[in-house]
Amino acid sequence: MTVYLVRRLFLAVFTLLVITALIYSLARSMPGDPLQVDMAEMDPKHRMSPEDHALAKKAYGLDKPWHVAYAGWLGGLFKLDLGDSFRYRRPVTTLIGERVGYTLLLSVPSFVVTFGLAVPLGLYVTRRSGRLDERLLSVFFYMLYSLPSYVVALWLLYYFYLRLSGTIFQLPPGMTSDNFNDLSFLGKAGDLTRHMILPLFCYSYASLAYDTRFIKANMEEAIRQDYIRTARAKGLDDRTILYRHAFRNTLIPFVTIIGLTLPSLISGAVILEQIFAWPGIGKLFFDAVNGQDYNLIMGMTLMFSVATLAGQLLADVLYAFVDPRITYQ
Amino acid sequence: MLTNYWPLSFKITLLLCLSLPLVFNIGCDNSPTATPPVAPTDPSLPGEEPGSETPAEPAAEAGTAESANAEEDAEQAAAGFKLGDMIEPFTPPTLEELDSMVEWEAQPVLDSLELRREDDAKHPSKVTVAEALKLRNTSKETNDKILEGLGQLPANDNAVNWDASINRHSGGDINSTFPLFMSSTAEFDINSLIGIGLFSFDWTFQNFAAKEAVVSWHSSKDRLFDKVIIRDDLTWSDGKPITAHDVAYSYKLILTKSVPCRAVRSGTDQIKWVEAYDDQTVVYFHKESLVTNNMNMNFPIIPKHVYEPIIAEDPLLKSSKNSHLEDNPVVGGPYTVRSRSRGQEIIFDRRDSFYLHNGKQVRDKPYYKVIRFRVQPNDATALLALKAGDLDEMQLSPELWQNQTDGDDFYQRNTKVFDTEWANIQFIWNIKDPRFADKRVRWAMAYAFDHEELLNTLLFGLCEPCTGNFHPTSRWSPVPAPTPLKQDLDKAEDLLDEAGWVDSNGDGIRDKMIDGKRVNFEFTIITNNRQLRIDICNLLKESLEQIGIRCQVTALEFPAMIEKLSNKDFQASCGGWGAGTDPDTSENIFATDQPRNYGSYSSKKVDDLFLAGKREFDPEKRRKIYQDIARQLWDDQPYCWLYYMNAQFAFSKSLRGYKFSPRGPYHYGPGFSSIYSTVE
Repeated sequence: MTVYLVRRLFLAVFTLLVITALIYSLARSMPGDPLQVDMAEMDPKHRMSPEDHALAKKAYGLDKPWHVAYAGWLGGLFKLDLGDSFRYRRPVTTLIGERVGYTLLLSVPSFVVTFGLAVPLGLYVTRRSGRLDERLLSVFFYMLYSLPSYVVALWLLYYFYLRLSGTIFQLPPGMTSDNFNDLSFLGKAGDLTRHMILPLFCYSYASLAYDTRFIKANMEEAIRQDYIRTARAKGLDDRTILYRHAFRNTLIPFVTIIGLTLPSLISGAVILEQIFAWPGIGKLFFDAVNGQDYNLIMGMTLMFSVATLAGQLLADVLYAFVDPRITYQ
Repeated sequence: MLTNYWPLSFKITLLLCLSLPLVFNIGCDNSPTATPPVAPTDPSLPGEEPGSETPAEPAAEAGTAESANAEEDAEQAAAGFKLGDMIEPFTPPTLEELDSMVEWEAQPVLDSLELRREDDAKHPSKVTVAEALKLRNTSKETNDKILEGLGQLPANDNAVNWDASINRHSGGDINSTFPLFMSSTAEFDINSLIGIGLFSFDWTFQNFAAKEAVVSWHSSKDRLFDKVIIRDDLTWSDGKPITAHDVAYSYKLILTKSVPCRAVRSGTDQIKWVEAYDDQTVVYFHKESLVTNNMNMNFPIIPKHVYEPIIAEDPLLKSSKNSHLEDNPVVGGPYTVRSRSRGQEIIFDRRDSFYLHNGKQVRDKPYYKVIRFRVQPNDATALLALKAGDLDEMQLSPELWQNQTDGDDFYQRNTKVFDTEWANIQFIWNIKDPRFADKRVRWAMAYAFDHEELLNTLLFGLCEPCTGNFHPTSRWSPVPAPTPLKQDLDKAEDLLDEAGWVDSNGDGIRDKMIDGKRVNFEFTIITNNRQLRIDICNLLKESLEQIGIRCQVTALEFPAMIEKLSNKDFQASCGGWGAGTDPDTSENIFATDQPRNYGSYSSKKVDDLFLAGKREFDPEKRRKIYQDIARQLWDDQPYCWLYYMNAQFAFSKSLRGYKFSPRGPYHYGPGFSSIYSTVE
């Protein structure tokens, strides 16, 4: 196990190097530079001369070729310094630290709710396969899955924010109300929850539909296996067959999907964050790419890459726990 | 067993990481940051009103644990920092010497709010507030009535709700509160609340010194010198006086190489020297005798005592020990920053020490006690917030104006008004490209384009057609102004035939022999990645297909487009320009080899006229010069001018006092400072 983990970690470091070098070179190869973005909003009086542009590029270190700049970035990384954002002129770690909490506030409950409901629902529809309630639920899940979240988000806001305005059921966008700082601890928790309900729903419903269908599909395959027939022949009841035998054998793909979901916990959702005015990491990344904020792009790419690799590693390790046939020798 | 997974696992990991952008739906969204090159803003708006004090902590006391790395950076920065190293060495004369050799002429020192009051008195409203509030904005006539009824300033102080707060909409967060680093529209808006300036201009673009900050302003007859006496009752939010030394220091800092003042350096760099002779007297020395010199003096002013001790070590102001200056800056304007939640909101409080001095009111009291900028990147959500009463104002896109603001749910709490901005949208032809070198071809393009479809369908009939670089109501526009063009395909084809572009091989595409090679009339037009711009380019493409020209539309992210434009690496482009307060600001767009002359237009006549325009002090003669420029540009058609953007705004029905300038309702004096909430 230890040898396996060490080898995986070495491979992960190598992978990270390749990814960061590739992304850095791609980001720096994009036409334009972050200093030209601001020129957009100057009026004709406030133009930046080519000399000023050159000075600004030097001040921000943009006059160096990408590989030199990458080496500098890498050097900073070894000192746990991801550099400063060009746009915000603040450390990248601070910016990410500020936003990732807001994203986790939505993604973790969404993850828990999604898998917490998907497993029992998936098992339920497997048990009821072919019956009316299963058909209705399946149609409903297909419908949910095909609904674009940004349309649902706007519709929900229209109803719960505008139409229910002035009632206790109003669910506003943003993270908190204007009087948030004046509220008690419980009041703050309630206010935050009220603001979280709609984005959480929009964050979760499609995943719930997908995961439920995913579990059902895997279960359908498992219950056709010989060992299930054997279990039935032995007279075991349906519940035991389904939960103890069939479901256990679908855990490998289930763990895989959990591993793949891990990066999405910190990646945010650009469109939903914009609609709900939620200052999460997705919007930050989107703005960083649009503004060619190289250090910020790199900091976040690194974070996503580490999360992806960690998710993969976690899944691989969990395989051994969910399936005794897998060993690390 | 898992050994077998390694290569696959590696590939999956790499694939996942490289496909991360797809996870974030990049390119599938309206980009709030992808902004066109149009900015009807001006950083020069002075702080018009008062506010409360929030002293910043002394820099030396903040931030205790700086890393060795940061210290190295600071040492390197300090070694490279030289205050005012972009200024030519100059020894100014003494004030006595200057006074003895210069004949001073008094210049206007005005209170912009008083100008509004005088304007209201001259044009009393014939529409009552009650009538205006009942109206729905369905025509230009009702629009004007709403503006007239609700745009008046308060009859007296009792009509104002002095404890009111206002929630303003911001499509994006600001990057910096430091006035020298501002560059976006949102930052200019915020600087008009917290910044202090000595000069301003009104809704007709007339320049003056701001009475709230200046006692007197004199210019030498040849405009080589300007002498300003600053009021002695101005203070920074930390209680220190605002003096002429702050002005001179700000000038030098703006012209320091290692301080990246990208947006505010231009213009300021045309000043030869700024000398503070005492706490109140500051003299601007200009390089040349130009009528445009007064535009250059309108740079932001920062507190010398706050920044001088820290800026040499930290010219980018990124050190953690100076971060408090971002969130809690020492300000000279009417408002102070109360709190800032990044990506969410920024809240300002009225600063009492701005309008009160030794307990006595010395300036207009700002109408709002609290101003909150809510960051709502999504326009649809912002409109819902407006309808729900959580926003008091927002700018409306043509689509929102036309389709989502006509119902009871909108008019229950709000109303909407518009006026034309002098910001124009156009096609830019790269004249270096052989296809567009001939002005007959450029005229053919203008006649081929379906202007009516653009104005009536894409723009819902809301916008005015544009016929040149100056708006027809501007004093610089030729009289009469050119007539708006209509699609005339026959004329376009005749012009192309005349220019030698004919379909010689019958393939349906016009062509011409250029340098011995047959060149098809095919080109690519680039534009910013915004739907309306793309639609306009597609309309051009459809129009040109009818006359045997093939056009490909390419939408680019803004930085990519700007790079292509700057490098002249394009054939045609669709973009826009905001309005400068002086016609000379368009010199850098149309004069030969100027940085924003992306299409490489060159006309000796136009170049000479621009040079003459900035040297002509007689207003009527100067007017004629710019009218001649406009005529020549129209004749040469370096652009195909399309339309003027509208400033379309929704306001809460509780707001009064708004008036539109050619830069919209805010970006002039008094602008936002004239808006108030009623006691009702």
